[in-house]
Amino acid sequence: MSKANIWRTVLRYVLVIIVVGMFTFPTYWMVSMAFKPKGEWSSAAGTIYWVPENPTLDNFDTVLTEYQGKFFRANQSSALPSIRSSIIVSVGATLFALLLGTLAAYGLSRFSMDTGDLPWYIALGRMALLIIAMLPFMVLWARLGIIRYWYGILTFTLLGIGVDQAIGRLLARFYKGPTGSLAFSILQLRMFPPMAIMIPVMLMWSAFKLVDTWYGLVIIYGVVTFPFVVWLMKSFFDEVPRELDEAAIVDGSSNWGAFIKVVLPLVKGGLASTALFVFILNWSDFLVALLLTTRYWPTIPVFLNTLVSSEIGAQHGPKAALGLLAVIPPVVFGLMIQRYLVRGLTFGAIKK
Amino acid sequence: MAGIRLEGLRKEFGHVVAVKELTLNFPDGKFAALLGPSGCGKTTTMNMIAGLETPTAGAIYFDDRRMNDVPPGKRGVGFVFQNYAIFTHMTVAENIGFGLKIRHVDRATIEKEVKKVAELLQITDMLDLNAGRLSVNDMQKVALGRSMITRPRIFLLDEPFSNLDAAFRAYMRGELKRIQREIGQTMIYVTHDQVEAMSMADNIAVMDFGVLQQFGSPDEVYNRPVNTFVANFIGSPNMNFVKCSYRVEDGQGWLVQHNGNARVPVDDRRRRLLEQRSDNAELILGIRPEHLHLHSQQDSPDLLSVTVHFVEPLGPKTVVHLRLGRDIVRAIAPAAYRAATASVQWIGVDPAFMHIFDGNSGLVIR
Repeated sequence: MSKANIWRTVLRYVLVIIVVGMFTFPTYWMVSMAFKPKGEWSSAAGTIYWVPENPTLDNFDTVLTEYQGKFFRANQSSALPSIRSSIIVSVGATLFALLLGTLAAYGLSRFSMDTGDLPWYIALGRMALLIIAMLPFMVLWARLGIIRYWYGILTFTLLGIGVDQAIGRLLARFYKGPTGSLAFSILQLRMFPPMAIMIPVMLMWSAFKLVDTWYGLVIIYGVVTFPFVVWLMKSFFDEVPRELDEAAIVDGSSNWGAFIKVVLPLVKGGLASTALFVFILNWSDFLVALLLTTRYWPTIPVFLNTLVSSEIGAQHGPKAALGLLAVIPPVVFGLMIQRYLVRGLTFGAIKK
Repeated sequence: MAGIRLEGLRKEFGHVVAVKELTLNFPDGKFAALLGPSGCGKTTTMNMIAGLETPTAGAIYFDDRRMNDVPPGKRGVGFVFQNYAIFTHMTVAENIGFGLKIRHVDRATIEKEVKKVAELLQITDMLDLNAGRLSVNDMQKVALGRSMITRPRIFLLDEPFSNLDAAFRAYMRGELKRIQREIGQTMIYVTHDQVEAMSMADNIAVMDFGVLQQFGSPDEVYNRPVNTFVANFIGSPNMNFVKCSYRVEDGQGWLVQHNGNARVPVDDRRRRLLEQRSDNAELILGIRPEHLHLHSQQDSPDLLSVTVHFVEPLGPKTVVHLRLGRDIVRAIAPAAYRAATASVQWIGVDPAFMHIFDGNSGLVIR
């Protein structure tokens, strides 16, 4: 090997080490901090401890137990309820979105009567017309004072659907092009960042008494992740030849039988990676849970946030400990379905 | 067993008419082929028979029972798809037994039946293999087995051999014919390969653009084509077509070539037919390459002068491409036949094997 080549190789490895270090250091720091006593994780002493010198489980103890003593401690309550909340909500929402999304995706993949995508200006125009048309009703509903109650929201929503349909009919008179693909409309839901609709959702959830309940969170997470499930699963179903369903049907199965016995087993890898993807989204969400929980059902990210306050300061050690615990479920899930994962994540990317 | 009767069957996809008013009678226990180029509506017809597509209009009868509203699983049909539609997450045995499992037949019976079918198809040794790992040839057999297990009254096969290699395809043609004879069921076979249709079927339905062109035995469609489409589609090399018109000269009826000056005499029966028609200016003479006889000299005054365009030796026979005026015609010669390009040769036309078609409608005149 010539000298220039050696230097090139060295440089390459140095760069690789720097990049890998940048990505893995935060994880390392969290793990190491979780086992450091307070004196080491707080910067009060002015020394940086790169590795825990007196490893301890105190941080886990702090975060997992309820404080009974009279002296001041970081958190008064235990993180266990929030862990339970995160598990119930994330699993529930993932199942909810998967159940509905997979069925919808199968339907779209097999029985869709799409006529091509609607041009964006028609779609946008239709949306704008709907908002303009609904504004007077909003004012009226507010004046009547019913917009804050469940029946007000329900009537307003139904009216909105009706007006939207009417606008659609009206447009169809002037515009004789493709009427749009349903699958794409569902994906379009995702083009709204969830935060844009969170304030109205808060009001609605409070009117329907869904705030601070596990099912309230399950519903909103399910709705927000539904388009992902539909879009991902549709691309998996599209890969399964239609003839497989047809063969099963000719052999005597029902549509359901063909779906469950033949098609679903063939996309189970896709189902697993979609589930992981959606689960991680739900598991790591902070803002929706912050806005929709108060006392009983805060999730882990919301609880983590309570470990920083003006009274107690930033409790980095307990935070790291809880963070480490929170990483376990996605990692375990990920390892379980590892062999499907790479294929799943690169799947819809390449269209034949 | 059941015969299949289609009455005015029609299928539209949006503005596209895939099948137009198809009326057909597939006799019970026979092997029929649906033959036509891609997109002629033959697969759509099969799907309608199986119940996978709903007809826009018309009726489907199995024997005398109307099947339009019977769900596919209850029609008693076995279907083999072009891409086999093997369930790759199951073993070969599970694939073959699928239809019985759906019907909640007990395990022992399923095993017994699967074994029987596997023996018929000679695939007993691969029953425990994962079906996804089979070769294309074996997948074909598994698909066939899966369609047979429920003892359907009717078998529908959609281009089942088009993905197989040539040698295995020839073998499977024989196998399928043997199986059909052994189980004695009605079989309908979709193909665009006229050799397959000719070699296996008792009856052939030739379709084009969703319209049935002709239905008959292989002999009938080959020897008595009703129009230029059927005449051209069946037979390899294709039938020769020469544009011509009918004229009477010297008290004899002649077909006179448009793109040249060849003429052939017409026999009395055809002459009467032609003379009943008002317009004989646009005719097409069709003659199969094997009915053109090559001569190196003008042995009789009826022979036509041609020049050799090129010679195509195929092994068992030789196809000779000839210039007849500005038309190109093909003739079949013995394997050893050779002639220099551009050399002058003579061909004789056997009047008994002449087909005369109307130049505008393409319909046969006979």
